[in-house]
Amino acid sequence: MKIVVFVKLVPDLVEELTVDPGGTTLDTTWLRMIINEFDDHAVEQAILLKEKTSTQVIVIAPDFDGVDEVLFTACAKGADQIIKLTGDFSSINNHALARAVASRIKILQPDLVLTGVQANNDIDGSIGPALAACLNQPFVGYVSGVTLEDNTAIVQKEYPGGVIAEMSITLPAVLGIQAAEQPPRYVAVSKVRQVMKTSNIDEQPLDELDNSGFPEVTRMFQSETSAHAEMITGSPDEIADRLVSVFKEKGILQRTNR
Amino acid sequence: MPERIDFWGIPENWGSPAFYVYSLMFLAAAILLIRFYLRARLWWKVGRPGFHWNHLLQRLGRVINYGILQTKVLSQRYPGLMHASIAWSFFVFFLGTGLATIDSHFYKILVGIPYLLHKLVMDVFVVIFFIGAGLAVFRRFIQKPPRLTISSGFTWSLALTILIVLGGLLTESLRLAVEKPSWAWWSPIGWLVAKLWISTEASSATLTNWHLVIWVAHLLIVVITIITLPVSTLLHIITGPANIFFSNPDRKPGRLSPIPENSKAEPIYSDSLRNLSWMQFLSADACTECGRCQDVCPAYAAGTSLNPKILILNLRDALKQDASSILHGNTNTHLLIGEWIKENALWSCTTCMACVYECPILINHIDTIVDMRRHLVIKGQMDGELQAALENFGRYGNSFGQSDRMRARWTQTITPKIKDARREQVEYLWFVGDYASYNPTLSDITIKTAEIFNKIGLDYGLLYDAERNSGNDIRRIGEEGLYEMLMEKNVAAIEKCHFQTIITTDPHSYNTLKNEYPINQDKRILHYTELLDQLISSGRLKFRKKLGIKATYHDPCYIGRYNEIYAAPRQVIQATGCELIEMPRHAERAFCCGAGGGRIWMPEGDVKERPSEIRIREAVELDGVSHFIVACPKDITMFRDAVKTTGNEDKIAVKDLIELVHAAL
Repeated sequence: MKIVVFVKLVPDLVEELTVDPGGTTLDTTWLRMIINEFDDHAVEQAILLKEKTSTQVIVIAPDFDGVDEVLFTACAKGADQIIKLTGDFSSINNHALARAVASRIKILQPDLVLTGVQANNDIDGSIGPALAACLNQPFVGYVSGVTLEDNTAIVQKEYPGGVIAEMSITLPAVLGIQAAEQPPRYVAVSKVRQVMKTSNIDEQPLDELDNSGFPEVTRMFQSETSAHAEMITGSPDEIADRLVSVFKEKGILQRTNR
Repeated sequence: MPERIDFWGIPENWGSPAFYVYSLMFLAAAILLIRFYLRARLWWKVGRPGFHWNHLLQRLGRVINYGILQTKVLSQRYPGLMHASIAWSFFVFFLGTGLATIDSHFYKILVGIPYLLHKLVMDVFVVIFFIGAGLAVFRRFIQKPPRLTISSGFTWSLALTILIVLGGLLTESLRLAVEKPSWAWWSPIGWLVAKLWISTEASSATLTNWHLVIWVAHLLIVVITIITLPVSTLLHIITGPANIFFSNPDRKPGRLSPIPENSKAEPIYSDSLRNLSWMQFLSADACTECGRCQDVCPAYAAGTSLNPKILILNLRDALKQDASSILHGNTNTHLLIGEWIKENALWSCTTCMACVYECPILINHIDTIVDMRRHLVIKGQMDGELQAALENFGRYGNSFGQSDRMRARWTQTITPKIKDARREQVEYLWFVGDYASYNPTLSDITIKTAEIFNKIGLDYGLLYDAERNSGNDIRRIGEEGLYEMLMEKNVAAIEKCHFQTIITTDPHSYNTLKNEYPINQDKRILHYTELLDQLISSGRLKFRKKLGIKATYHDPCYIGRYNEIYAAPRQVIQATGCELIEMPRHAERAFCCGAGGGRIWMPEGDVKERPSEIRIREAVELDGVSHFIVACPKDITMFRDAVKTTGNEDKIAVKDLIELVHAAL
């Protein structure tokens, strides 16, 4: 078995985000890139599957600032091969990325492709379904558990409202990981440093990117404040009365006949 | 003339008593040595060998200081007097017996006055011994402090020592009762007991026969004691001084041992008995089970699963039980970490060093704990909160998960702008530390510190966003790689600056910068309390107000026990016109707040009472003390919380020392 995990780096929200003077993209001067949290879970899920069924795990990521560390960390966790896709990603979108990555994945012929179910910079939708479409494979998103059996994968998919469905998919397939079965593990810095000395990143240049299908962004802006919160003051009794009336107003509290 | 008679009262038809006695003694000694060797060789057969003989004189000096004079033992009055009385008496008895051997076989010395003095000294130490033994009996059977191991092994050892001394006293007294020499009063205790025998009006022959019986019994008890010593609680007579001798004399407490490496320079993690050093086993076998470490441990007091004494004894039991399996290549042994030693116990340590400071035979519990934590870290076995903190350190250089660009945000209100030490030459480079930089409730204190520096006209600067967490506690969590990464970044930033002295706010940063960072030796590193103290004594810092507050001072572990800065903060507090009242546990014996060793980034788990709360309760007991003064940013957060949770907000206020200075300026 062979699993490919597609990982991308996204803007770190710890830094204050500013919009480029052009007004349609983020200002990248102060941008710090980190691994997409859901992709981190996808890596963890792949390593867990490797530990259970000794599959081969290949982690593939486009070249952003800091990607080497992300790839070496994945390797230290147990990935067998790490691939960095190089090219010009300055105005990247998921349509173009999916096409380009799919062409690479096709060569690898994996049984399973895992990627994070979403990312904070998914302007044109998440990448999983797009990848699946390019590969002409089935896709299940919001997955929080995977078991492999011969040529099928049994997956747990989370639905809103606390419902979980278990379904089986014939491989090959693409899964959008919501959460790995256990939180991503810690890998000691010395282990990552060791891997940096002993492992190599396989660099693969991407051809011209095809941006077709990407919607045009007309304006990017910070969210604006609209309604304000109402501060309830007074004695505890007054506050309770006001709360009850607000709940009634909003239809949260109803008279029960008992 | 009084003179020593060999083998008095032994019937002549017994042949040569000397032959029997020496044969028996040599045999006993041989058994002792063989049994001891069989035990001791496990240390280096199971563990990693590596004997260090450097600094020989210093090592011997430490054996004399801690092993013979027993200065650490004596630092606690009751158990100190108890143990020293017994031990010193036996040293004297041993020397006295040796002198008698020389006298009877090599050189006649015990004649006349020297003999009488010999008798007197031996008798005086019999009294001293019985005082010690009495204290021991009272402590073991009546006081029973929780830290003691109440087991038959200790009772047996105590009984044997009492019987040995009693046997000696009885033989002496019976001999005196028969001989009635004119100089009998030189053996005051012996003669008093002899008078008792005389008063029974028993015949000389009867007394001589009794003497013979007791003499033989005395001899046999000595033999039993010697033969059983390697498996009894008296083993510490050998292993204690050995541990003192082999413990590293030139390592500063603030400098942690690096990860041991094998011949291929690969790291060795303490995941099994095989990977421990022989010293760790020697320490385990040397532990006297006195329980001083348990008494002072904040993690134990809080009710966590760590008991430093049990941790060391678990190693002893592990070696005892699993050594032969390991040596026979049997891998089916208990897990060192997880079974013998619980992970929670390892994570509970605050690395406050109180246990290490108290241990009378210099066992280093923290080294072992950190070694084992390193194994857990490399396996990724840790709590989620700690993992998140470590990931933040790796990514942002601080545990707050904030951008490095926000590190110096607290400086925004300060005018004139604080110098950037990376661009301008400064006299003092201020290493602010994470808590003082990022914690919003502490920025007020950090700003006050800057204001004081400005007022004095100190020429200082910051590393701004190039500063990273110093890594002191990350190293003690066991994340050596992350520590090295942060240290390298800090060192690279520091080396680019032109300065003479580094000042730190945080005692933890101070410790690692001073003791572990490869910073140019001619750069001074000062904690801000040291700097203020120097500025006060040089007259550069003058106070206009006398605060007139009654205050107590809490010594942070990392400038107190780790770096022995006790006087400077106290002098500063007093210079601000405060009356300093000490808590019962202060200076070397200060009780940790519970935040060190990475505990501040871990969930506290099941605790009976937080160490910080125990400490605040200790402080509010002091008469009229209204202020609890600290010199560590983490202490502010720990103790302000503890004051609230113990409901002492109206009794005591937690203040940083810098706040006093600011108020008195």
